[in-house]
Amino acid sequence: MIVVDGTLKRRLGAWLLATVGVLGAFLLVEAYTSAQRAADRAYDSQLEAAGLTIAEAIQWQDSRPVVEMPAAAFQILATDQQERVFYAILDTTGREVTGNLDGAVTPAWQHAAKAGPVWMTVQHHGTPIRLHGRELTSAGWESLDPVQIWVGHTLSGREALAGDLFVRTLTRFLAMVLVAGLLMLLAIRTALGPVRRLRQLLRQRDADDVRPLHAHVPGELYDMAETLNALFARQREGRDALLRFTADASHQLKTPLAGLQSTSELALQSEQPDEWRHALETVHDSAARTSRLAGQLLSLARLRHASEGGRDTVDLAAVLRDTLMEWAERDAAQHHDLGLAPLPEGPVYIQGEPWSLQEMIGNLIDNALRYTPPGSVITLGLERQPGTVTLSIEDDGPGVSDDLLGRLHQPFERGGRQDTQGSGLGLAIVDSIARRHDARLDVHNAPGHGLRIDIRFPALPKET
Amino acid sequence: MLHRWLCCLLLACLMPLAALAQARTPLVVEAALDRQVIAPLLAAFERAYPDIALHYHDRSTLEVDRRAREVRPAPDVVISSAMPWQLARVNEGLAQPLVSPAARRWPQWAKWRNEVFGFTFEPIVTVYRLDLVRHMIPPTTHADLHTILTTHQDLLRGRVTTYSPGRSGVGYTLFQQDARYSPRFWDLVAAMGAAEVSLEDNTQAMLDGLTEGKYWVGYNLLGSYAMHWAQTHPEVIVQVPQDYALVMMRMAFVHRDAPHPMAAKAFVDFLLSVEGQRILAGSTPLFSVLPEVIGPYTAQRLRDQVGERLYPIPINASLLAFVDPLRRDAFMARWNREIRILEP
Repeated sequence: MIVVDGTLKRRLGAWLLATVGVLGAFLLVEAYTSAQRAADRAYDSQLEAAGLTIAEAIQWQDSRPVVEMPAAAFQILATDQQERVFYAILDTTGREVTGNLDGAVTPAWQHAAKAGPVWMTVQHHGTPIRLHGRELTSAGWESLDPVQIWVGHTLSGREALAGDLFVRTLTRFLAMVLVAGLLMLLAIRTALGPVRRLRQLLRQRDADDVRPLHAHVPGELYDMAETLNALFARQREGRDALLRFTADASHQLKTPLAGLQSTSELALQSEQPDEWRHALETVHDSAARTSRLAGQLLSLARLRHASEGGRDTVDLAAVLRDTLMEWAERDAAQHHDLGLAPLPEGPVYIQGEPWSLQEMIGNLIDNALRYTPPGSVITLGLERQPGTVTLSIEDDGPGVSDDLLGRLHQPFERGGRQDTQGSGLGLAIVDSIARRHDARLDVHNAPGHGLRIDIRFPALPKET
Repeated sequence: MLHRWLCCLLLACLMPLAALAQARTPLVVEAALDRQVIAPLLAAFERAYPDIALHYHDRSTLEVDRRAREVRPAPDVVISSAMPWQLARVNEGLAQPLVSPAARRWPQWAKWRNEVFGFTFEPIVTVYRLDLVRHMIPPTTHADLHTILTTHQDLLRGRVTTYSPGRSGVGYTLFQQDARYSPRFWDLVAAMGAAEVSLEDNTQAMLDGLTEGKYWVGYNLLGSYAMHWAQTHPEVIVQVPQDYALVMMRMAFVHRDAPHPMAAKAFVDFLLSVEGQRILAGSTPLFSVLPEVIGPYTAQRLRDQVGERLYPIPINASLLAFVDPLRRDAFMARWNREIRILEP
């Protein structure tokens, strides 16, 4: 089920918007404060100039400061924005010698101005104004007392300049966002090009075309293309295996069916009831074998395609003991020495399906019985190692040549032997079941002679 | 029957409207500007705004300033020729801005903060009696005046008049501005002091003295009043100084606490309107500021007559220096020193 969950364009657009939004918010806050600072710097220097102009005019006469207020100082203070202007000249006691600040300069401000020139924004009769204060020590004939000069003006010029600067920054930023957005659209189109090409390539393929893709893709898409190729490879393998299996199965079923046909034809040509009976017995045996073969084929197909069933904690030792007991009573086992090596003490727990484990052990025993001469000794065993539980079966039969060992678990492989009635599916089933249990199948020739099969199950982390 | 009812209802609805029209909005104008001089403009305003009851009070500059600062309820409009004091009041925040097309179009050099507007253009002149011409060449420049004061000291003794800088805000402003332009102004002050100058409070007093024959020459009179006076008093000659002539402007603003701000704004807007300026130019000697207005009394016509030697006292923050108490003290100290410096 494929659900369309938005588009990449919209997603990238949303991200761009979020980025621009967050960055923009920061940028604009920064732009606003820096515009304020720039405006303050520009106008503060006017305040300073006005203060210095007044300072220049201060003289001492009869022990008190005398100033012929320079008209230029007021024009500097008012600026071209025609600000309202405020000024005061304070003597050393804080008394306003002249000015229009009406004693608004507090002792705290005067104290601050003693340390050096100060600038501050304050409320004066309900109007915010910018004040600048500086202390001046000038020489006079009688007195050397310092004088403080305070000048200030209203803020409309600063606000206008800051607003102007801010609007300029804002305009630039918006233009940038617009350009970035357009470029982003272009980038999205370009970046999605390979995806479009890949889509085109996939769309043009035939339904049963499982050849690997040949395409130029960017690094980010390499994994996806590779995964697609792996998927194709698995499909190819699966299809090949299926074809092979079907061919093998048909071949396997064909042989007994041909035998049935020829036996029944011979019997039909005969007039002797004895031969009929003999033919019927042959047909019965052969049908039983074919039925068993079909059963095994079915179970193998089921094992390969069955989904993972529920798993339980299983005592493998009990399963082994029960299955062995069951097999020991069968007719087929009467000519072999079927035995069990000493089991570990207590239950041996693994995660698994009891029915498939029984099937596996049964197949192992069946295999050993079929491929060893009568009288052979077959020994099953169970060992516990750190992290694993090993189920083993060993016989003292003829063994298998080394180059065949690796292929034994493939379907219809009989270890180079055509003399048995086996189907060649036993180990394949065992292998499938082992895979379902994450166990490893290991087939090797036993020391001396004979075959040994080890199946290593992962042990449960905690065994009770 | 129904008709009569409807008529009654209609009348009842209209009654409050009629009563409202009867109650005229009062408008208080405190002005340092002679009522007779400005009368044509006031009449035109009352015609244009019949629902405003204008109360025009003609007072001295200092009284106008005091009323703007202290009296509550505040006047609606404040008009004064004491330019530094007007600007100081605006700088204190006593004015409110006027937003109107006329205010916006008003020349930049004749307004400040769109709150106070210089709406007249009055040259500062020297006035002399015809008697003077029989004894000497009449002065056409500041230097000429200084020359005749020194060369005809005995003849002119006691017959010279000018503003008192201590008692008149206009006089003080003019002398401050004179002193800014030339240090030789103090020579003139000294010469006037030696001629035992009479210091008057206003232009009218000087014009009266000139007509009576008490004074022969008057320095720094308001050209608007003097020219008006000279039309009916042929013994008085008005001379616009040829080296430089100061120009004083009456400044008007709407008071921040005006009880009737709408009427106040209408009044100031009328002063600045082309119509108001045309009346100033045609029916008063106050001279219109606007260059497009045509009439006998316009800034443009004055410029055409006396050339580019007109120096309007600038309406900007530098005026604040003149009202600084220390600077005023220093100026008065120097004035008092200089005026006595040539005393025997």
